[in-house]
Amino acid sequence: MNGSAKPYGVVAEFDTPAATMHAAEKIRDQGFTRWDVFTPYPVHGMDKAMGLRNSKVGWFTFIGGVTGYITGMVMQWYMNAYDYSIVVGGKPMFSPIYSFPPSYELTILFGAFGSLFGMLFLNRLPRLYHPLLKSRRFASVTHDKFFVVIECGDPKYSDTETRKLLESSGSKHIEVAEE
Amino acid sequence: MSSHTESSTFGSLELARWRQLPTWLMAGGGLLALIGAAVDLQRFGYAWLLAFMFFLSLCLGALFLVILHHLFDAMWTVPLRRFVEHIACLAPVMLALFLPILVLAPKLYPWMTIDPETDHALHAKHQFLNAPLWYVRVFVLFGIWTWLAYGLRKWSLKQDETGAAECTYKMRRYSAGGIFLFAVTLTMAAIDWMKSLEHQWYSTMYGVYYFAASVWTTLATVYLITVVLKHAGPLRYVARERQFHDTGVLLFAFTVFYAYIHFSQYFLIWNAALPEETYWYVKRETGSWWDIGMIIVFGHFVLPFLTLLRIDAKLNLRVMVPICVWAWLMHFCDLSYNIMPVRHAAGFPAQWLWLDLACLAFFGGVLAKAFLKSFNAHPPYPQRDPRFAETMEVYLPPASSGRQASAHGGAK
Repeated sequence: MNGSAKPYGVVAEFDTPAATMHAAEKIRDQGFTRWDVFTPYPVHGMDKAMGLRNSKVGWFTFIGGVTGYITGMVMQWYMNAYDYSIVVGGKPMFSPIYSFPPSYELTILFGAFGSLFGMLFLNRLPRLYHPLLKSRRFASVTHDKFFVVIECGDPKYSDTETRKLLESSGSKHIEVAEE
Repeated sequence: MSSHTESSTFGSLELARWRQLPTWLMAGGGLLALIGAAVDLQRFGYAWLLAFMFFLSLCLGALFLVILHHLFDAMWTVPLRRFVEHIACLAPVMLALFLPILVLAPKLYPWMTIDPETDHALHAKHQFLNAPLWYVRVFVLFGIWTWLAYGLRKWSLKQDETGAAECTYKMRRYSAGGIFLFAVTLTMAAIDWMKSLEHQWYSTMYGVYYFAASVWTTLATVYLITVVLKHAGPLRYVARERQFHDTGVLLFAFTVFYAYIHFSQYFLIWNAALPEETYWYVKRETGSWWDIGMIIVFGHFVLPFLTLLRIDAKLNLRVMVPICVWAWLMHFCDLSYNIMPVRHAAGFPAQWLWLDLACLAFFGGVLAKAFLKSFNAHPPYPQRDPRFAETMEVYLPPASSGRQASAHGGAK
């Protein structure tokens, strides 16, 4: 091990989803904030075990959608009624009725942008490198192992106590990942 | 009765007090409706038609939800399916309630008394829109709905006893063919009984428009009934967060779907600006019909849309119960907007509101009695549905799994 490297967090390996779930519940009840669970497949009920709240992505979608709707309406008013007004089919220069379908499409488009970029932003993506990828054992997370990682940056983190907590919750193998 | 004792031990919602409500609604509504019929027979007919279309929405919406359940092999609707089946099985009662419309039809539908040779629109549509065929269709439509609803419920009840997979296959077969019959018959009902009030009009979206409004109202009703049945006892342990959340999500989806369909209908007519189409909306932009139109835009769509947008709203009873009751009010406005301008061109007939409400009350009372009778006669939810354990998040290993595993081992 390179002694000068900064530790990133403790990585605890588990064999079963049930053990991982119980460990997650313990960590949640201790009040940790900067930690995560890694599993080879989605485990039902893990969000509750981890105490995760609803994702905030919805707000990005909503703001994106509202922006799209307003953009659509303003754009059509500017083009058809203000900048270069032309009568088409005997319709008014501007009407919310004919402007609705394009505005609606833009609502969906910008809403989708909001979801995508909001998700990337909240996940701090794109990211070219992650400390956990250095760990050999961690590679088996895509196969048959379950991992709980508590970051050293967590205010509740302590070198000895956190390791003990993970040991007591039944982890078979614990190591420290480096930055 | 076990459900009764349960409700008195657990009951956070005292239902015994409301036991006489359907009788009172039936008696009071019926009496006022009779007075209305004596005062103005034609106006009574329109009020009756409105009430009929309102409750037909629930009946057909329920049939659709049952069909949907089987088509998608849904899991979360299992605990709710039984009472929805009972609502769908109200079809024969609806036929009995159709009787006044059957008798008053020539007074309600102007085309019935017009000579098609003198009216171009009617002449063009006469192949479909003629009185004998109209009467025949009434019985064909009710026949199909009754056959579908009773067939689906028959096998569902049989599964309570036998638990056989065969029942599920039978119900799926009813649903697979039934969805087509449902689409055609609902469209015909909407055209025959509501759209033909103004026979000159054209709209290819009318059937799906009534469908969207119907399922929306039905989902609101299903949500409310689930709340009542959960608090009163019968669905106490089986109606869970999932059922409320997903019914709420579907309600939200149909809020948008209804708005999409109604806007599309308006937009196409507005854009094409053909007199034989626009007159329908021009009529409905006259007087206080304009305000009702605005109430539909903002109350049928914008308000429920914004309220239901948040994911947690669907589980919050303080939000959902008022919204579901509001949905009934909006559906009433919507049907009034469709039916009443034929008789009241000047605006919304507030002076006749008592008769509309009386007919609605009478229908509500009669149908509630019929519903409660079948609800009390059968288990409150499917007892041995193959999806039931899964819905309750219980894992049951298949009975034959052990044998199969050893057989596989042997083959290796």
